[in-house]
Amino acid sequence: MAEQEENSMIGYDPLAWMHEAEEEESPTRSAPLSAALPDDSAIFDDDMADAGVETEPGAALNAADLQPSADAETTGRIILEPLQNIQTVSQLHQQLRCMLDSCNKIDIDASAVSQIDTATLQLLLVLKLTAVKLRKEVNIDFPSEKFMEAADLLGVSEMLSVDQAVSGFF
Amino acid sequence: MTSRIVAVLNQKGGVGKTTTTVNLAHALARMGKKITVIDFDPQSHLAVALGVVSKQQTGIDEIMLGHATFTQQQIPVRENLNLIVAGPRLQEIEQLRESGSHRGDLLRKALAPGTDDRDLIFIDCPPSSGILVANALFAAEELLVPMTSDYLALQGLSHLMGTIKKFEAVLNKKYRLQIVMSRYIPTRRLSKDVVSTLKKYFPQQILATPVRETAALAECPSFGKTVFEYRPGWRSAKDFEALAGDFLAGRMM
Repeated sequence: MAEQEENSMIGYDPLAWMHEAEEEESPTRSAPLSAALPDDSAIFDDDMADAGVETEPGAALNAADLQPSADAETTGRIILEPLQNIQTVSQLHQQLRCMLDSCNKIDIDASAVSQIDTATLQLLLVLKLTAVKLRKEVNIDFPSEKFMEAADLLGVSEMLSVDQAVSGFF
Repeated sequence: MTSRIVAVLNQKGGVGKTTTTVNLAHALARMGKKITVIDFDPQSHLAVALGVVSKQQTGIDEIMLGHATFTQQQIPVRENLNLIVAGPRLQEIEQLRESGSHRGDLLRKALAPGTDDRDLIFIDCPPSSGILVANALFAAEELLVPMTSDYLALQGLSHLMGTIKKFEAVLNKKYRLQIVMSRYIPTRRLSKDVVSTLKKYFPQQILATPVRETAALAECPSFGKTVFEYRPGWRSAKDFEALAGDFLAGRMM
């Protein structure tokens, strides 16, 4: 936690992340994504099972889909594909599991979503709830109209924190 | 001639967005620059501060909805200074939920034609981070962020920078960002520490003249006057005159 020098009237520096983001190189993920997962993702898996979402733990991962940002050790970024359904949810689960492991914050770009099913929304919901438990942050950015419609229909837009989100930009 | 489009924004309330827009715009207009200010807050405080109080007057709302043009909606309020009011339907735009509509792009498209004869267009944003601010971020190339010198303003700026960086990544553009220290209390040690912290993160991005907190700046909106009309020659008028010079010359702390 970045704190100012002793004589300063400012204790915790809320802008410190800006320098950290600039200073940190974006490291490539060298560890195999299918490697044994530590506790954080295990909690996510347990929560998924509790929620009744079936995923395939061994699903192949596409590392290119993961977009570590400049401050990759703290923030992960992922772009949702236009079509999000039961066929793609396992892969998304794996990706998010890995990110939850290595990042303190996950930004999910939902601007391109043109179709999304309940399984994916449930996955995102469990991710949000798991992140809260782990004191991590998950943001769903720029949700498309279709994303918003589906979230509203299921009554989860507030829980996903997209009820006040700006949508329909793209 | 291409206009500079500047969004005056900070999602925190009470930092001096409208005061900065009104008085900086008037200072620049007095220097001969052709300025248009857009009241982009449904509360219409900018218009009131410039003495325009009609609630039925349409403005940027109708331009964004495609029913009027930028040129048609400008009201000359001072020499070289035009105003586009918010309009009664701006609030509706914030709540639009039409499927497939590109709500974030409405202002950018609205400002595309007819702005060439203006040197500067200032968009006075509402104190929020919703659809209207997103529209301003789409439309503007420059951001002017008024900042008070207190801790919570720093906290708010941290949040704002997160939003701005997301937009930069998604829109693939880099804003020219300038900070103006407003409501500055020079006798407070905290003020100096806030400025010193800001300098660390925003080198050469803080306009050289801080605008000091005065009673006159709080009073003049109720008379529909800028500080140059309400208290000409006073400290605040001098601050804004100097600030306008900094803004044009790119003079920073």
